[in-house]
Amino acid sequence: MLLRLRGVHVSIGEITIIHDVSLEVRKGEVVALLGSNGAGKTTLFKAIAGVIKPSRGAIEFEGEEIQHLPADKVVQRGLVLCPEGRQLFPQLSVYKNLLLGAYVRRKEKKKVEQTLEWVYALFPILRERREQPAGTLSGGEQQMLAIGRALMSGPKVLLLDEPTMGLAPLVVARIAEVIKEISKAGTTVFLSEQNAHMALKITERGYVLENGRVVLEGPSARLIEDPVVKRAYLGV
Amino acid sequence: MDVFLQQVFNGIMLGSTYAVVAAGLTLVFGILHVPNFAHGHFYMIGAYVTFFLVTSWKLGFWPAVLLSCLVLALLGVVVERLAFRPMRGQPQVNAFISAIGVLMFLEALVTLVWGPEGHRIPNPYPATVNLWGLVTTQQRLLVIVTAALLIFLLNLFIKKTLLGATIEAVAQNREGAMLVGINVDRVSSITFALSAATAAIAASVVAPIFIITPTMGALVGMKAFIIVILGGLGNIPGAIWGGYILGLVEALGGGYISADYKDVFAFGLLILVLALRPAGLFGKESS
Repeated sequence: MLLRLRGVHVSIGEITIIHDVSLEVRKGEVVALLGSNGAGKTTLFKAIAGVIKPSRGAIEFEGEEIQHLPADKVVQRGLVLCPEGRQLFPQLSVYKNLLLGAYVRRKEKKKVEQTLEWVYALFPILRERREQPAGTLSGGEQQMLAIGRALMSGPKVLLLDEPTMGLAPLVVARIAEVIKEISKAGTTVFLSEQNAHMALKITERGYVLENGRVVLEGPSARLIEDPVVKRAYLGV
Repeated sequence: MDVFLQQVFNGIMLGSTYAVVAAGLTLVFGILHVPNFAHGHFYMIGAYVTFFLVTSWKLGFWPAVLLSCLVLALLGVVVERLAFRPMRGQPQVNAFISAIGVLMFLEALVTLVWGPEGHRIPNPYPATVNLWGLVTTQQRLLVIVTAALLIFLLNLFIKKTLLGATIEAVAQNREGAMLVGINVDRVSSITFALSAATAAIAASVVAPIFIITPTMGALVGMKAFIIVILGGLGNIPGAIWGGYILGLVEALGGGYISADYKDVFAFGLLILVLALRPAGLFGKESS
């Protein structure tokens, strides 16, 4: 088991956002985390990435508990979050953003070079714009840069938090393609989405989060037929 | 014309010191998001450490400057760790108060050890030089050259090295920096070390020209604060240009009107700029 959560609770201030969440992501899988706005997807992902600490429960990565580790140590182990809102360095160039993405393996120059070429191949627009400050890119391009930056560290697991939020359908399609390619290249992907349609098409399994609890889980093909999912997330 | 050139030269020399001190202050502002009010006191301690090493340990001027720079880098790290890191995530006013505590402590410490009276670092390069009719001392030229070199190296470090890029990354998006695996605590330590060390060098090279006193830090810190606002908070090139502008305004105002009023010109400039361009001379207008 690559990633396993056991009875995770997360509180921000006085309020408990995540209640007793247990889930698993196996090596090589593409897993969806569905949920509406405010369901707790972002909070859960931040807790996995070490940005906030769970108040209870355990997060295991490659069999070791990581819930006490700071975010930078989690990245070093190969678990990387591509965050909601992208969190780019707006005044730094596209190239520097990507280079900083590879910060944890800065000593492996050759691998960084290869990954950079791969990221440029996935998103050719980033090569074109490499000298431009990240803040001047369009929303879609910034999302591509955020994904590219996360890939630069060569993660074993990539957590993608709402990568298609607010983007045009054409860009959404491109990002779905890229997620499949990332998976094919050997990276395990855990994808949080409000866009259940897209998410369930490109994933094998999924979890549905409601009010901070996992209310449903199963193969994507079955979730897509589930009446609750249909009503709540597919707008049928 | 000669008077004018002489004052421009003096302005550039004053501005050199201001530019370096303000660059250090703005660097730390980017990381802390509050100004380190004790920055001027790092500058003061830098001068005193060099003074001590030259007069008591009988070190040469340059070894003393180098050692003072290292001592201040260490002091910067300690102050960040003890006075600022515990304030992270708390209301900004806590960091303000903490900075003022550090400032009072450092000033009292120096007064206790070396007394409230002024001291002088023996001038290592007192010889006068004649530059195309401009008469000055080698030491004054040295201030200008050292500052220019420091600014050049600082810029090189930030723009061309990965470690330098991590400072910018943390300043621009702390969470983003954490998520790429940057140890934010380590970057804070490095930034404080750099900021205090550059202030120590600036203080050490200019100190032989003036008298050093425990209160010298307060005025320099205040001026650095003006410059950082002039240049736009967190803007390094802005701080450097702002430093030279303030130096020139003080020197020209002091030379043509009255030297007694030179601080009035400095603060007058601040009020003027804030009234006309609230985001600073080089700051972006934010909506």
